[in-house]
Amino acid sequence: MSKLFDRVLGAKVSRRDFLKGSAAATAAVAGLSLAGCSNNTIQETTKAPEETTKAPDTTAPVTHDEIVDLEAKGKWVPAACWNNCGGRCLNKALVVDGVVMRQKTDDTHEDTPDFLQQRACVRGRARRAEVYSPDRLKTPMKRKNWQPGGVEVNGHLRGTDEWEPITWEEAFKIVASETKRIGDTYGPGAIFAPSSGNGANYVMYKAAGGYYSASGTLSWGTWNEGPGHFGMEDGYSSWSLNDRLDLKKSELIVMIGCNPAWSSMGSPMYNFLQAKRAGAKFVSVDPIYTDTAAALDAKWLPIRPGTDHALMLALAYVMLKNDDEKKLIDWDFLNKCTVGFDAEHMPEGAPKEDNAKDYILGTYDNTPKTPEWAEAITGIPAADITELGLSIGKDVKVSLLTGWAPARTHNSDSMPQMFMTLGAMGGHMGLSGHMTGVSCHFGAGNGGKYLIGSGSTGISYNRELISGKSQGTLTRGCMWDAILKGEFNNKGTMTPIDFKMIYHGGTNCYLQTMPGMKKGIEVHRKMEFVVTQTTFFNTDAKYSDIILPVNTMWERKDGTMTSGNREALFYAGQVIEPLFDSKSDREVITGIMKELGVEAKDVYSMSEEAGDFRRFFGAWTYAEDGTTKTPIVTITQADIDAVPQNIKDELIASGFELKPQEGKIGLEEFKQAGVYTVERKEGDNFGHIHYEAFRKDPEANPLKTASGKLEIYCKGLQDMVANYGYTTVEAYPAYNPCLDGYEQMKSEGKFEFQVINPHYQRRSHTIFDNVKVLREAFPNPVLMNASDAKAKGIVDGDTVIMTSEAGSILRKACIVEGMMPGVLGVMHGCWVDVDENTADKVDRAGADNYLIPSKTTGQRISAWNSTLCNMEKYTGTPLDDDVNMNSRLI
Amino acid sequence: MARKAFYFDQEACVGCRGCQIVCKDKIEGADLELGVFYRTVKNYESGSFPKVGRFSVSMTCNHCENPACVAVCPQKAIYKAEDGTVLQDASLCIGCGTCAAACPYGVPQIVNNKMAKCDGCAARVAKGEKPLCVDACTMRALDFGEYDELVAKYGPDLVSDLSVLPDSKTTGANLLIKARACALEADVREMNL
Repeated sequence: MSKLFDRVLGAKVSRRDFLKGSAAATAAVAGLSLAGCSNNTIQETTKAPEETTKAPDTTAPVTHDEIVDLEAKGKWVPAACWNNCGGRCLNKALVVDGVVMRQKTDDTHEDTPDFLQQRACVRGRARRAEVYSPDRLKTPMKRKNWQPGGVEVNGHLRGTDEWEPITWEEAFKIVASETKRIGDTYGPGAIFAPSSGNGANYVMYKAAGGYYSASGTLSWGTWNEGPGHFGMEDGYSSWSLNDRLDLKKSELIVMIGCNPAWSSMGSPMYNFLQAKRAGAKFVSVDPIYTDTAAALDAKWLPIRPGTDHALMLALAYVMLKNDDEKKLIDWDFLNKCTVGFDAEHMPEGAPKEDNAKDYILGTYDNTPKTPEWAEAITGIPAADITELGLSIGKDVKVSLLTGWAPARTHNSDSMPQMFMTLGAMGGHMGLSGHMTGVSCHFGAGNGGKYLIGSGSTGISYNRELISGKSQGTLTRGCMWDAILKGEFNNKGTMTPIDFKMIYHGGTNCYLQTMPGMKKGIEVHRKMEFVVTQTTFFNTDAKYSDIILPVNTMWERKDGTMTSGNREALFYAGQVIEPLFDSKSDREVITGIMKELGVEAKDVYSMSEEAGDFRRFFGAWTYAEDGTTKTPIVTITQADIDAVPQNIKDELIASGFELKPQEGKIGLEEFKQAGVYTVERKEGDNFGHIHYEAFRKDPEANPLKTASGKLEIYCKGLQDMVANYGYTTVEAYPAYNPCLDGYEQMKSEGKFEFQVINPHYQRRSHTIFDNVKVLREAFPNPVLMNASDAKAKGIVDGDTVIMTSEAGSILRKACIVEGMMPGVLGVMHGCWVDVDENTADKVDRAGADNYLIPSKTTGQRISAWNSTLCNMEKYTGTPLDDDVNMNSRLI
Repeated sequence: MARKAFYFDQEACVGCRGCQIVCKDKIEGADLELGVFYRTVKNYESGSFPKVGRFSVSMTCNHCENPACVAVCPQKAIYKAEDGTVLQDASLCIGCGTCAAACPYGVPQIVNNKMAKCDGCAARVAKGEKPLCVDACTMRALDFGEYDELVAKYGPDLVSDLSVLPDSKTTGANLLIKARACALEADVREMNL
């Protein structure tokens, strides 16, 4: 019936056997795995099952009757879409005879620009291709030349070794005993878990008494920790923006490093289109002429990566210099709502000369931040800077928006503060049509408090039983380098470390997602034991010793209730039975914990089913007044009666009261729809003007900063950065040239190109990169300007090699005019494919983090948009299209 | 005879390929097989740094007034239906591929030895729904319906020709595009992105 399904199984297992979920099926799957690796190894076999399995033959293309027939035979159910993608949308699956045959998206109500359907993006719509991907891990696996005990390790073979299937019982025993052995032998400080989620932390605490974790700025860049100090929001958990209907009131929307068309797929870009249709003009400051800029007909100001701060200073300079004549600056707002802009408004104890205005004008450093000064740094012509500076004055309704990308650069700690300063100068805060803030991820173009929220499952774990001590945290940006060196920077104190084990809990594919992957591989090869719990043979798994196959959200009993979209709450229950011999994370953890002497009931307080039901009670939204919280789900006594008694007993025993409630949507209706969406319309009570109360009366409505005001002079920011012991900043928004940035490139003369790592539609970070229909749709080249290609003798489609201090990667060239010269766009997140036969261990997949060095600055920045490299035409074997790369099969 | 057309708001399109994937998702008998598409999206660029244009073209069967595929089919397996869509009687098709070679837009494909292409989601349309691609588009850039009604709804500035497309008059393509200005320029380049 389903070729897709057949391709997952390969030729070895019949679908019928598989669906039975019987011991025979499990054995058959194990046999498949054996067959899959017997040729030799994870060096992918030359013919993957999807290529060897031929279609049954002459099925004719579908007829109309057959389409109707398929839908009549199956059932549409909501299907989770769960990754860290920057969108939150509705996905549904047509389940026919236990198999998902088709997908659809939101059709629960008429679609209007104000009351949108939450339509899923291209990746979400390819979800079944991921769930049924041939590289699903089918059974627990052990690396062949590794044995427990720390003697027969053969660490150098990680990534190239053969694999053998083992039973779950064996896997649980090995993970429990190895974690315990390493904890007993070397202490908890020998274990590193950059991702300790999904219950992995329970295992490490119980078996070893603790472990080292990792932290840092991640996607936020310097919006991670700074905004709380100077008075803005981070753009993920809260926003400094007005809501999307108010965005339509803006006259000029300036987007600095924002490309929602690529990085916030789903609804956000459609909201920007509404603003355009309402008459807003757009400016896009970005190294790439993006799909966003093109669709919004934005004026493009191509900028060099890591220099946005210099642009902002020059815009401020233009405003100051022209204010007498053109009245651009909102002095009333600055005087009332900020500290530190000029000498007359400095906080107590701060040196008068450390004010922003004198810094911008160059009063003390003799460097006025003129458009010409900025042109030399940013590459944006001074005339364009002047024009933009003159256009963002207080009498224009301006939205100043920035993504996190410009802040994912070294030494950018003061840039967000300068962005705030620029917005405050124009008074673009607290008024309709005016806003200043981060616009990306879920919250792109749509600020304000959440209008919906999930209920709690009430499931907790036994903290006492599995308590232990955190050993410390490494900075993600430089952790691989630190581990190799044997010491890490612990807030200014170099502290020795000697890891013997890595546990990848699976919340993030850390070997793939963190800078300096080549060093990361070296680290993995030095360990005694590496374990990964995950769904696919991803990069963490590839360099492990034991792999625990975890199933997807479609296969779990507990369903998902997903927030993230300001206006819509999503629910999805179990869609299909678990595939192969996979287990949920919870089942994996309880299995390992049992080996450590802890019964399942002592790990998690309730069953998944009980937690799933309880969650409906707590789902909330606001009444029409916009302030009174009210339940979303109507739950009748009959609904409660219909729940199995054992689940009710569990909930009652936990102290939860099961009583009917009145909400907005019936329980069954909500479970079937998969979504509750707040109906928005002009003039409703769900809009938001950020800083409104603060602007009206800052004394009565102070911000959560030390002064209660926006801090253009911010000691808290300065102290926070200094406390991490890497680099320092001024308390005022002084420009710090980027480590591995443009100025360094020019002064050193060692490298010719700056590298940025755009989010690419093919993936959500690294997720979906194994999905062949997405590889087919998105070829994943490196973007470069035509002048650079010409200088290097490269034509479109040529394979090029890019080499940084960290490593070398290959990609095909996509030559365009819409790219800042001297900048290369290496798309974020593709799965590394090291060519072990090359002297330099070249990565043929073009993994961004293979090129990016393991290093950090400031507030522990992971600096994905500041790498320097050289680039040449590749003289080795050229690349085939990514879609023709074999799947990673074991 | 009625005249059905696809409307494509190129101004709104961000080239995300959502339409391409959802269409592929429903091709029964192919089931996400590589190389099989009823709808595809391509990216293009015009101009030179820093004055550039960028646009995408989402394309499927244009259900032409004078379809080349119908004209050349030796089996008369392809026909123009009453509602204006170009459909196929699969039982007559011998998979010779003559249609695929004749279509200036390169629409027909041979899947499992039969011609395969967009049928305008006839089953959905018969139920009063829009084609899948239309209902999938996150930018609401696609529509499908009666030609005249689409013209009335989306205004007089629609075109059927872009410099990257064949002359629509050859087959009477029922394609209505709200074009970006850059897509009308003569010198445009495909971006393999």
